[in-house]
Amino acid sequence: MASEHLERYRDIIPDFDAFLDSMSRPLPVTVRINTLKTSAPELLSRLDRAGVGYERMRWYPLGLRLDVEKPGRLMEFHMGLIHVQEEISMLPPVVLDPLPGERILDLCAAPGGKAAQMSMQMSNRGLIVANDSSSARIVPLRANLERLGAVNTIVTSYDGRRFPEYTFDRALVDAPCSSEGTARRHPGVISRCSVKRSMDLQSLQVSLLRRAIQLTKPGGVVVYSTCTFAPEENEGVVSRVLDLADVESFTVPGLRSSPGLPSWNGNDYGEELVKCRRYYPHENDTGGFFVAKLRRRLSAGE
Amino acid sequence: MSRSSAEGFQPVNKDTVVSMWRERFGISEDVFKGFGFFRRGRMIWAFSLPEIPPFRCESIGMRVISMRESPWKPTTYALQLWGRHARKNVIDLNDEMARRFFAGESLELRAQVERGYVVVTHMGSVIGCGLYTPGKLISQLPRERRILDDQNAPEHHAQPGDTQQDGTE
Repeated sequence: MASEHLERYRDIIPDFDAFLDSMSRPLPVTVRINTLKTSAPELLSRLDRAGVGYERMRWYPLGLRLDVEKPGRLMEFHMGLIHVQEEISMLPPVVLDPLPGERILDLCAAPGGKAAQMSMQMSNRGLIVANDSSSARIVPLRANLERLGAVNTIVTSYDGRRFPEYTFDRALVDAPCSSEGTARRHPGVISRCSVKRSMDLQSLQVSLLRRAIQLTKPGGVVVYSTCTFAPEENEGVVSRVLDLADVESFTVPGLRSSPGLPSWNGNDYGEELVKCRRYYPHENDTGGFFVAKLRRRLSAGE
Repeated sequence: MSRSSAEGFQPVNKDTVVSMWRERFGISEDVFKGFGFFRRGRMIWAFSLPEIPPFRCESIGMRVISMRESPWKPTTYALQLWGRHARKNVIDLNDEMARRFFAGESLELRAQVERGYVVVTHMGSVIGCGLYTPGKLISQLPRERRILDDQNAPEHHAQPGDTQQDGTE
């Protein structure tokens, strides 16, 4: 593990040595039960009968840790009863909480696990626009949505910064980022991280998030998430949309987290940024994540 | 995977689609309440709204019927979603036969079903589409839904879902 880059977080991550230690360990295999095609009792009884060990997530009843190395070989995977999805990446849709019948924007949707999770939350009603700017990522996005039975989705491939005018009830911006939090699965990722890269990404992330807020109805919820620890890509982004939206606090019982940073390296992000949540690998034995829950102002100064 | 506009999708008469599911599989029309059906090329797609929103769409909803065959053929993914509501033309396989069906094999078996497309299940959970002729069940699973090795297979045989490209995130 190239931990030199991570040293910059020594003062902000609690129990830093435990953090470094967890970053060098592989991730548990986790799957989400797809209630569009099955129920938790049906799926669990199949696993019991097949002799597949599992542990249910404390904070999310549809999340399971599986005692198998290759979940992609399970019949249940090919039946679309489960989706292989990192535990902490199941969180943003839970915070967004889309309701059946609503119109939802998923601005950076590939490979589609979160969009399919929202389909499930919405019982396949209403609309999810699953957008991704990369035509290469559209192929796995479509394949996942189809395998999981997400009928209430359309797939688009706009540059998210210029997504066409429309009014959504809620939006998810699971932004492209330096992905430091995925190092337990992709150990090489840290060596590509730098402050400069984070600052380059920040411009893109701000543009994506601003566009998503503009596309959401006044009073509507927008969730911004990344899988990185870099404050430049997290609080540094959210602090630049506070003219359009307010930050709201949220709690997820059973999931440990740390507050967002009000300042970092001489940048003052604002006291309300502590309402964002940071999820470190050693807190829940997951990947790393950042989640902000925003609500568009009733009269946004655009 | 060509780029297409919402205009490439033409609404199709819902009764025609719903009656196919009812006549072949005994699936109640209530299951399709709220869904719309659209045609593009020789495929029928299901979608959750009666109209397609005004975007440049790569795809909408899900492919549910292929009109290339006669009679029309339900897709495996549509059967995985709706097949549990079927009251007839369902074949439930035991563990060994389910494994062979997933491997793409044709199975020698006799079942109390009509000739044609059937819902293939394992312990009541839907695997997908099969084609039944008396004495024989032929897999109609898409290639990417096949499981070519058993659970003891060597690890270097990558399967969908093992990589970030398909499944994980």
